Amino acid sequence: MSDAVERVVNLALYLASSRLPKSAEECRAAGLGYPADQDDTAFIRMFERDKDALRAGGLVLDVVDDGESDAYRIDADATFARPVNLSIEERAALRAVATAFAEDPGFPFGDELRSATGKLGTSGAEGPLASSDLGRAAPAGQGVDARAIAEAVQARKTVTFEYTNASGETRDRTIDPYGVFFRNGSWYLVGRDHDLGEIRTFAITRMNGIDVNPARPRTPDFERPADFDIRESERLPFQYGSAPFAARVRFLPETAWRIDRLARGHGKTQHLPDGSAVWTVEAADARRLASWIVDEGPGLYAVDPEPVIEELAIGLRRVADAHA
Amino acid sequence: MPKSPDTATRAGRLLALIPLLRKGETVSLHELAGAVGCKPSEVAADLSTLTMCGVPPFTPYDMIDLLIDGDTVTIYAEAPGIDRPLRLTLGEARALGAALDAAGYDADAPLREKLRDAASSGVALDELARTVRASSGPGGLAETYSVLAAAAETHEKVHIHYFTGSTGNVSERTVHPWALVNRLGTWYLVALCEAVHEERVFRLDRIFDARPLGEMFEPPSLVPFNVTPDTEDLPVATVRFAAGVALPDQRTWPGATFTAEPGGTTLVTVAYQTESWIARRVLAYLGDAEIIEPPALRKAVRKAALDELGAIM
Repeated sequence: MSDAVERVVNLALYLASSRLPKSAEECRAAGLGYPADQDDTAFIRMFERDKDALRAGGLVLDVVDDGESDAYRIDADATFARPVNLSIEERAALRAVATAFAEDPGFPFGDELRSATGKLGTSGAEGPLASSDLGRAAPAGQGVDARAIAEAVQARKTVTFEYTNASGETRDRTIDPYGVFFRNGSWYLVGRDHDLGEIRTFAITRMNGIDVNPARPRTPDFERPADFDIRESERLPFQYGSAPFAARVRFLPETAWRIDRLARGHGKTQHLPDGSAVWTVEAADARRLASWIVDEGPGLYAVDPEPVIEELAIGLRRVADAHA
Repeated sequence: MPKSPDTATRAGRLLALIPLLRKGETVSLHELAGAVGCKPSEVAADLSTLTMCGVPPFTPYDMIDLLIDGDTVTIYAEAPGIDRPLRLTLGEARALGAALDAAGYDADAPLREKLRDAASSGVALDELARTVRASSGPGGLAETYSVLAAAAETHEKVHIHYFTGSTGNVSERTVHPWALVNRLGTWYLVALCEAVHEERVFRLDRIFDARPLGEMFEPPSLVPFNVTPDTEDLPVATVRFAAGVALPDQRTWPGATFTAEPGGTTLVTVAYQTESWIARRVLAYLGDAEIIEPPALRKAVRKAALDELGAIM
């Protein structure tokens, strides 16, 4: 293992310090660590693996056709970072997220987060105290599984797993994974179910025996729809339903600032002269919107449509009567 | 036993380490480990490997030269060709994006724009944003989060406005930010509140207009990361939920216990700090949840329901 790592680093240094592009044969002959008794086929395989390792490490290789064969050099602009001008607060924030998430088994990308913040000079050491516990159920497994599925999303490789739904029914699923998202302590996969031919959402904690198609790992198994966007999955609780409608919610002056926190990018806000604000948002379930308004209150009220106000009135009357 | 990193992963770590090694400098292994995200012992092994690396013709003058002495390393000859940090790889950009999602940074937060410049040109950031999303709680936290993180780091007092969900009141407080804690996707600030001179836990999404005061505080030697109240001395409510209702979870009702009843209803017991908090939670079920006991809480819920009704009628 150590020889292979040394060879890859030597190759990086050789290409980075050379003014001219270097061919595979030049690299082979430069004493970087390629075995002298290796046949051509084995060398080419090893050289390809080494180039992949450089690319995985962040080096961008330019391929130059020198007339006889391909030659390689490092694209310095694309490889080396320009200084990122971060404020003191931004640096502290990055150190805080690094400290919190890098050690949280519910966060799937801890290792990469550490190396990313290291490159930015904002690793968690000496940063603010921070801690995280994202996962609700079996956090270690959830983070590991979410990572495996995120890798399959990027590589566009089909995944199979046994899935137990909320009703307790278990069956095998074959899914083209389009995206992953996190909500309230759980990671979810959104993808096309081969059997149903439809896009479905699956809780990763309900999966068992996740298997990513190992065949031809560099060749995608499917095309993701061009208009797919995982952010569409980030609907508010009252936005699930078949008959969407526009609703308006008024925030009193002392709570108008909360719209930015609660809206998650949905809807539009109109600020009124008295300091209050009216948030217009698409909804699809009048009762759930009524419930959400009460839960997020006090300080916000339904303006319209009438069915939302009716749900509020009926629901609150039920509460009052039940507690008489 | 943890799995050893493969060649590509370890080579990537070494390549990230190389720009940090400046000729003539002595650096602690702990600092380097923090910068590349591994243990000091792994950095020591990586540095040993680097002493075997260089460029042709591999004379002693062409090799990386350093000396590890205890928990520090002194660099005598740095690596040729790689003297600046590398751009972020796809995996690193994905990790940072997910971490900022989870910290409540919206898609248009300025910090995200700055980090675009740090990513490798081969990283399709827009595609990453369309396929991985780690946001759970409220958004719009970037400014509050960064101010509190900096204050927690430098031990600077902060003035905040805080919205108390149970009452709807906004209070102004001076706090000593000790730590930022995420539980199940929700961020909390653990701080000393000067008004009561006691430790308090604040939800970040309910803090606004956080301003550093330029005054320092002395942090405690041990900061508690527990953000749920100690329920031992709190009153307990018993709540019956109708059959088929989506029950609260540990994120929204910390410490609650659930007992299924014949007929499909569920009996939940939960400790509560204020009547107004538990009353509002029950109100939000719009009749599908009923306080069974204590009786005084039943009265409080009825009054709250009638007050809300009065406000909308």
